[in-house]
Amino acid sequence: MVYSQYHLNRRLQSFEKYLAPLLSLPHLAIALGLVFLFSDGSVFFVDSGLPRKGLSTLIIAIVIKEVPFFLLIFSAIGRQLPIKYWLLQGQALGYQDYRCWWFLVFPALLKQSRLALLAATAYTLSVVDVSSIVGPNIPELFAVSVYRWQTSFGVGDQAFAFWANALLLILLAVSVLILYGHEKLAHAGCKALATKGSRFYIGSINPVFKVWLPMLGLLTAMIVVVFALWSLDFNWHSDSFDFTQLTTRLWQYEWLFFALPLKNSLLIGLFSGLLGVAFALLALELQRQKGKYWPDYYWLLAIILPQLSMVLGWQILHIWSQGGYHSGWIVLSHLPFTFAYAYLVLKGPFQSVESRYELLAASFGYSPWQSWWQVRFRLLLPAIFTAFAITFSVSIAQYIPTLMLGAGRVTTITTEAVAIGSGSQQDLIALYVLLQSILPFMAFFVAALLARRFRGSMGGQDARDY
Amino acid sequence: MLEIINCQIEAKTWRITLPDIDVQKGELLVITGPSGIGKSTLLHWLLGNIPQHVAIKGQIILSGINITNLAIEQRRVGLLMQDVYLFPHLTVQDNICFALPKNPQLSLKKPQRSSKKPQGSSKKQRRAAAMKMLEQINLVHLGTRYPQNLSGGERSRVGLIRALANQPQVMLLDEPFAALDPRTREQMGAWAFQQLTEQNIPSVMVSHDVEDIPASAKQICLADYYQASEQK
Repeated sequence: MVYSQYHLNRRLQSFEKYLAPLLSLPHLAIALGLVFLFSDGSVFFVDSGLPRKGLSTLIIAIVIKEVPFFLLIFSAIGRQLPIKYWLLQGQALGYQDYRCWWFLVFPALLKQSRLALLAATAYTLSVVDVSSIVGPNIPELFAVSVYRWQTSFGVGDQAFAFWANALLLILLAVSVLILYGHEKLAHAGCKALATKGSRFYIGSINPVFKVWLPMLGLLTAMIVVVFALWSLDFNWHSDSFDFTQLTTRLWQYEWLFFALPLKNSLLIGLFSGLLGVAFALLALELQRQKGKYWPDYYWLLAIILPQLSMVLGWQILHIWSQGGYHSGWIVLSHLPFTFAYAYLVLKGPFQSVESRYELLAASFGYSPWQSWWQVRFRLLLPAIFTAFAITFSVSIAQYIPTLMLGAGRVTTITTEAVAIGSGSQQDLIALYVLLQSILPFMAFFVAALLARRFRGSMGGQDARDY
Repeated sequence: MLEIINCQIEAKTWRITLPDIDVQKGELLVITGPSGIGKSTLLHWLLGNIPQHVAIKGQIILSGINITNLAIEQRRVGLLMQDVYLFPHLTVQDNICFALPKNPQLSLKKPQRSSKKPQGSSKKQRRAAAMKMLEQINLVHLGTRYPQNLSGGERSRVGLIRALANQPQVMLLDEPFAALDPRTREQMGAWAFQQLTEQNIPSVMVSHDVEDIPASAKQICLADYYQASEQK
């Protein structure tokens, strides 16, 4: 699984505009979508060899999901590096562009995306919802076992859970080492090739990368369509494609059941998303005033540590403080994650806001507060909208914290989707997963619309004449 | 009138002790010197932006008031930099509105206009005032544009007008025209100094290009007062 991340380093193009909707599809939806589309007896291909549950399905789903995430991270890093000039310089020295990219840009990117790699690794290590649904059963994945032990009453299982969590941390440490080694190796490799001035053959697989994103877009669309058709009671086994028989029967029946989880999801997502963005801004501003930025990993701890172990700790605290099962607690439990993602997304734009704008505002007689609000905040607005869409979808997709702190009482679309996903009523699964993917998609859509209305520091290129 | 008294710039290995300086209304002081000697630092100190690498001592008296210890926003000092830094999220017109003081009835800038202009400052009135300022420099057509769509020269003009809209007591210019091409720079310089003289504002400009300097300006070269420290 760690190795699957290795793959992702090989991404280069920046298609930022298309990233958001791709990124918004939750892991679960992609995993199940793959199953719906390609596994035995599924829609399009009779037998592609992709098992209903299995390691291969899991890995493919996670890879598909993480690529847009890395593209987003890379493009954020890329904005701060003079990549264009490096490439130009390289080409002037007679190297082809893709070679320049590998020699010059890739090592720098790799070094700076350490944390993102680590976050993805930690996620993969301790993900429960996706692995319990499409991961292999015999033996089940470690995270799933850990979770089972944690919730079990069997003699010794709790102790087992404790040691297993410790082991998870050790695994994480090991993967840190592997990532570090990989980085060193890749560096050494690139350096050796660069100093030798040698040619290498990545060019032949370049087309794969070029079609990757359009393919991904197509796949996303297909997944959504298949879910929609399933939930509308489409008859897969008839020979003709007869869309007239579609009914909203299931939606009407289920409304009774999904109304409450939907409301919970929306509210929790809204609050934890907003709070996450607000706290990230606060953290950034306080650091800016002190003139010293703490290393990122302090702030991103929530997404770097294995979620499972961390949430177990919170749960123990929560029980100890006799907190009851209120959705406020869930918001609180989502907050570290939404905060971490908001911080990750906002840090670059925040730091690149030219401080002289505020200097000028001050020279016009605006107090620091006023100029922060009217200048810095306004310049950041587009980035803030994107950050909110991301935090919102992060919160929507949270499974473990919701389940463990809510004691199963606070149901969200995601907990319902996982519960139903482990069942076998296909149309119902489709409906819930569709709902789960629509929510973040809408958030991104609204964010994109709003971001277009308000121009900011990022809106420079698409400036229009009025 | 701007006075700078007992000013001393001190870094680890060198120090500059300036003579007392005064800049009368409508007068221009040009600070020259080789790069790295602290021209811009001095300018930012006048603005109230405390420099990090050197210590500056001295007193700044502006229109008879000691402003040395005031915050930037209380000094009423205008600033024009090389990259004009028009706010990218605001149109040209709104950029100027942003700079207009809270109560424009204090405006003494153009007597014939302030008598016409109603008191108070609703959004509409502020916008109208901004448009009028653009009118005076024949740039009304830029009013609803965003700064990204302006040429370098247009940006400089709007930047100066924006700074003047704030009715500053003193104007600081930090190599304001260095990014423009030579011809535009010449025109722009002449136009800007004319504006500043007309408005009767004392100005301080930092420049490394001697050609930028109009004949009437006072000049001070920091290199003339440069001393290496004793330790060295």
